[in-house]
Amino acid sequence: MLWVIARRESLTLFQTGLLWLLLAACALILGWVFLTVLDPFVGVDSDRLETLSINALNLRLVRELFGAASVLVLLIAPLLASRLLSSEWRDGRYALLAAAPLRPLDILLGKWLALALVLLALCALPGCLCLALALLGAPVDLGLCLSATLGLWLLGLLFAAVGLFAASLSAQPGAATVIAYGLLILLSVINRTDTAGMQALELFDWLSWGQHLFWFLIGAVRLSDLGYFVLLSAGFLALAERRLANRPYQ
Amino acid sequence: MERVLEVKALSRQFGARQALRDLHLHLERGDILGLLGPNGAGKTTCLQLLAGQLAPDQGCIRICGHDLLRAPRAAKQQLGYLPERPPLYPDLHLHDYLCYCARLHGLRAAALRAAVDEVIAECGLESVRQRLLGHLSKGYRQRVGLAQALLHNPALLLLDEPGDGLDPLQSQELRALIRRRAERGCAVIFSSHRLDEVQHLCKAVLILREGQTLYQGAPQGPAGTAPATPAASVALRVRLVPPSRPAALAALEPVASAEALDDGRMRLHLHPGTSPAQLSRMLVERGFGLAELGPEPNDLERLFLSGFGVRDRAA
Repeated sequence: MLWVIARRESLTLFQTGLLWLLLAACALILGWVFLTVLDPFVGVDSDRLETLSINALNLRLVRELFGAASVLVLLIAPLLASRLLSSEWRDGRYALLAAAPLRPLDILLGKWLALALVLLALCALPGCLCLALALLGAPVDLGLCLSATLGLWLLGLLFAAVGLFAASLSAQPGAATVIAYGLLILLSVINRTDTAGMQALELFDWLSWGQHLFWFLIGAVRLSDLGYFVLLSAGFLALAERRLANRPYQ
Repeated sequence: MERVLEVKALSRQFGARQALRDLHLHLERGDILGLLGPNGAGKTTCLQLLAGQLAPDQGCIRICGHDLLRAPRAAKQQLGYLPERPPLYPDLHLHDYLCYCARLHGLRAAALRAAVDEVIAECGLESVRQRLLGHLSKGYRQRVGLAQALLHNPALLLLDEPGDGLDPLQSQELRALIRRRAERGCAVIFSSHRLDEVQHLCKAVLILREGQTLYQGAPQGPAGTAPATPAASVALRVRLVPPSRPAALAALEPVASAEALDDGRMRLHLHPGTSPAQLSRMLVERGFGLAELGPEPNDLERLFLSGFGVRDRAA
């Protein structure tokens, strides 16, 4: 049943102008970052590039491009998540799902899968730019790009889960988006507690998404990082599921 | 007869406000129950509880034998619900929307297509089949909301003010549709502010006041409480200037009985076969100062108004 919801929600998102506008803006920003990274290498014959320089190009390209994309995903995922859940409450459409023979988990996973599909399109953008460069004959490390794309998509799934949890807290899309941004910023800087004069804990380091994405960006797909994204996504989805299940009692 | 809905001691509180208190209810196949009450009486809360949108603080709801709290999926399979605001996706075409709703209720392939075509025909939506829902008028939106509730042929239909936004013709079609569904074995509960609609359609009414059951039973009122009226007689209200005594009017040939009301009017029952025109002619000829002559409010209206302490007045 969750495929029915996922299909409908993703089609609904793709049918609205907002998503295409966001994708176009992302393509523009990423294209600009892409050209900025490539600029020093323009006109250099690939045969004359040393291995060290090729590696540097690949690492810089992936770090800059996918780093910028991760910020865009952070901005976009909560917007889309609040549109899928908070807006439904506000407009009274959630009654359709609540009166259907569905579990709250089906509803939530359906919406999360829809977000996963939509964010896949966004996360594929930097990969497409790298692929285009490779097709033009540049020595691009496609394995590294693939690993970075996977990391970015997993990050998107986590952000979508956080967005859905925030959306489950409020029927106002604006408020839900702000809550999600707050949570995501907290997750971004939680490993910087030492700079605020607090004692740094390993747990805070682990909770921050930056270092987990970093390993994907240097081409290392580690089980511990996969586990981080899966665990945190599942945790926020479980919290959101509780909110949905308890909603009739509120 | 199979019991479709059984509600026991249903209560719900919002903060300090008791929205619904100790409601008992049961419906069998083919029953139509009208839910009445002023704004804020608890009609919508009651329907939301029955639809599983809200959970009760106390009480039990069983739909076709399935407990709505313990086995919500099985119970909701038998449920069709039209909320106060139809749950529509403005970016979807009618056909796509109904297909989606049907899939949510587990319909697939041929059964889905047949169900969608049937409700489109039943709700008179052929002309807007390919229109975006956001472009439909309020009456059509209401009909689309009704169509999604009917799609899976539910055993229990909950309609929250279904006549809202419908013109008189559409209201008539809606009543016919509800009757047809009831004849097919569907139990229907609908809330309305239109007493005439409820009177003509329902086998039973439930009047709520501040969350409490004020009256539950036949729309004609409980046996013995309605004024005894001779069969086929006409009931009228009359105001005379200057006022007269009921006995003086009761002495007139067309009048079977006359009683004074608190507001200075009199309630008259005519003998079978006599008409209000005859009475008015006679009143004028006999020199009564006839200031007003109108029909007596029906039983349900009287029941409703007296239940809320409103003085029994002619409309």
